[in-house]
Amino acid sequence: MNINTNLKEENTYDAIVVGSGISGGWAAKELTEKGLRVLMLERGMNIEHIKDYDTAMKNPWEFKHAGNLTEDQKRTHPVQTRDYPYQEYNEKWWVNDIECPYTEDKRFDWYRGFHVGGKSLMWGRQSYRFSDHNFEDNARDGHGNDWPIRYKDIAAWYDYAERFAGISGQAENWPLLPDGQFLPPMDLNCVEKSVKERIEKHYNRTRILTIGRTANLTVPHKGRGSCQYRNLCSRGCPFGAYFSTQSSTLPAAMATNKLTVRPYSIVNHILYDKDTKKAKGVMVIDAETNETMEFYAKIVFVNGSTLGSTFILLNSTSDAHPEGLGNASGQLGHNLMDHHFRCGASGSAEGFEDKYTYGRRANGIYVPRYQNVGSDKRDYLRGFGYQGGASRNPWYEEVAELSFGGDFKDKLSLPADTWNMGLGGFGEMLPYYENKVYINHDKKDKWGQPILAIDCEYKENEKKMRIDMMNDAAEMLEASGIKNVKTYDKECYPGMAIHEMGTARMGNDPKTSVLNKWNQMHEVSNVFVTDGSCMPSIACQNPSLTFMALTARACDYAVKELNKGNI
Amino acid sequence: MDRRKAIKNIAIGLGGVLSATTIGVLVKDFVLTDAAANSTGLLTAEEAFLAEFSDVLIPTTKSSPGAKAAGVGTFIPMMIAECYPTDIQEIFKNGMKSFQEKCVTSFGKDFQALSVEERIKMVEEARKESLVDIKKPSFFILARDLSILGYFSSEIGCTQARAYLPVPGRFDGSAEYKPGQKAWAT
Repeated sequence: MNINTNLKEENTYDAIVVGSGISGGWAAKELTEKGLRVLMLERGMNIEHIKDYDTAMKNPWEFKHAGNLTEDQKRTHPVQTRDYPYQEYNEKWWVNDIECPYTEDKRFDWYRGFHVGGKSLMWGRQSYRFSDHNFEDNARDGHGNDWPIRYKDIAAWYDYAERFAGISGQAENWPLLPDGQFLPPMDLNCVEKSVKERIEKHYNRTRILTIGRTANLTVPHKGRGSCQYRNLCSRGCPFGAYFSTQSSTLPAAMATNKLTVRPYSIVNHILYDKDTKKAKGVMVIDAETNETMEFYAKIVFVNGSTLGSTFILLNSTSDAHPEGLGNASGQLGHNLMDHHFRCGASGSAEGFEDKYTYGRRANGIYVPRYQNVGSDKRDYLRGFGYQGGASRNPWYEEVAELSFGGDFKDKLSLPADTWNMGLGGFGEMLPYYENKVYINHDKKDKWGQPILAIDCEYKENEKKMRIDMMNDAAEMLEASGIKNVKTYDKECYPGMAIHEMGTARMGNDPKTSVLNKWNQMHEVSNVFVTDGSCMPSIACQNPSLTFMALTARACDYAVKELNKGNI
Repeated sequence: MDRRKAIKNIAIGLGGVLSATTIGVLVKDFVLTDAAANSTGLLTAEEAFLAEFSDVLIPTTKSSPGAKAAGVGTFIPMMIAECYPTDIQEIFKNGMKSFQEKCVTSFGKDFQALSVEERIKMVEEARKESLVDIKKPSFFILARDLSILGYFSSEIGCTQARAYLPVPGRFDGSAEYKPGQKAWAT
């Protein structure tokens, strides 16, 4: 490739951020606000806030297929259709699996969205802090490597992230789920209030139920509107009422006039300079034209989602880094984790026939982890939390009778007499070295790149935990007076929680980890990785808030080091 | 796992939406093959028939207009053609044809020429046949599922049969329920 000097200058920035999702958006915001000229590269299309949320204001009857997918969509999205997130309402957010294949040595559901904003547009918005218990678990039971940080290292950054993003929630003083800088909580509904009261009484507050802590605004915040209780978040919010790159970090970064966003820019690998032993930039394939080009910067933030970033690092080979950039430890691509869920219990609540809901709350309830803490001992390690909630839905019991006619129709037009209350577990998965991804050079994607192969499975610890995830839920519901309680396990495969993490873990020891305690590569000092790939363990909480805090913290460190001339 | 359990399980989850239709279960029971691709054609010619058929399932009542008025007659064939694999399309087509023929055998005239009582009698027979195995897709089950889905996602279904709030603006989880109050459309 010929690069003339002008072009080289034109393509040179202070920092490159690879990816524009939750952590990429934060990196762009923090780095530009600290004065750096930043290029943010996004492999997919541009999405403009509000304007490009095509379906956000549509009524149910304006969708041709009532939310369902066509046979054509199922054919081009064979993975994305495996679970509920990909729907007619939000179909443009989900990747065409045929164009972007990957190898499944074992079943792994890889849900991906390639566009500016990434999964910040479709995320579940549940925002929980990790506690010291979580940061210490690896060291305590010897699975995985020790986290190089503790809660005190990140607490102030959680504050910082929450204050900007806007997290609504209720303080509970629960040691395993530290409180944060909350906006007013959303309300529990009448059934949830009753269940909360009875659970906390029955277990003498060794278990609690709280409203979900969510990145939905309950009051206007930093120029963004508050939640309108439509519960249509995954279409993109025209009120800017939930945290996304578009609603929050991108406008902040753009306001500095120091950000350039380049969509359709697939980062193929990081360019390594063997003389300086640093990254000098990235090689990009233009997703529309297939042209390749190079961009240069003093620092590179890799925020391409856990497996996206890991692919880029594995694909960045050189004489100095034959197994992938910064992979002397051999840990890059290993220790892949995801939460396991889709099991729990539900039943019906009686005695609330005279109550109903007004508005559609884009949030549920949360029962934080209480297992393997204090006197609670289980026959497996770590633990789980519950998400769920109560709702009063239209009638549905007539399904089995295949009823029809005027009475049937009128009945379906009314809410059922009983409410449904469910608790679904979200369990921690241990880090296992053998759960890994690697590059498969035998197959290519639409742009001629080799593809990722994924070899990952849940093991005995997760399987044992699932039994308790069902039984504890049933027990708590029964203790709460819920009737017809039934447990369920709908089967779960890694990837389904869309919380994949761990493949470029942090650690104090360069021999056993890829990143140091600042999310900086041990071996390449100007490369930082702050998405889910950095996580040495995943706890059982939804992780995005932790990515935000770690990213802001890493940016602060990176700019200080840059200014000191250390990188 | 019995049917009711299966339905219950589908219903669970964060704000789980319960469904009066069986579609979620049915479609997952079938492995889609690459060949099961192209629409088998047909059906627009049957819109008039399907409008009348769906109107027996979801008729006009005191509270709201029925499926025919809501446009379900065009919704069903469009959905069958675009959202189902060819084997299901065939089952639908063939089942519909034999249902139509049975009307002629029983009453000597087309379904559309039957009285309301006669139509109900024929649909009730189809229902009974499908009850034998409600996991097995049939013309009746598919048409019923799609009638419910199409009706309650139509403008009439959302705004007249149920009540629709596009922008609630607030949340009250302990609101008073007045007897007879409609369910919220979503």
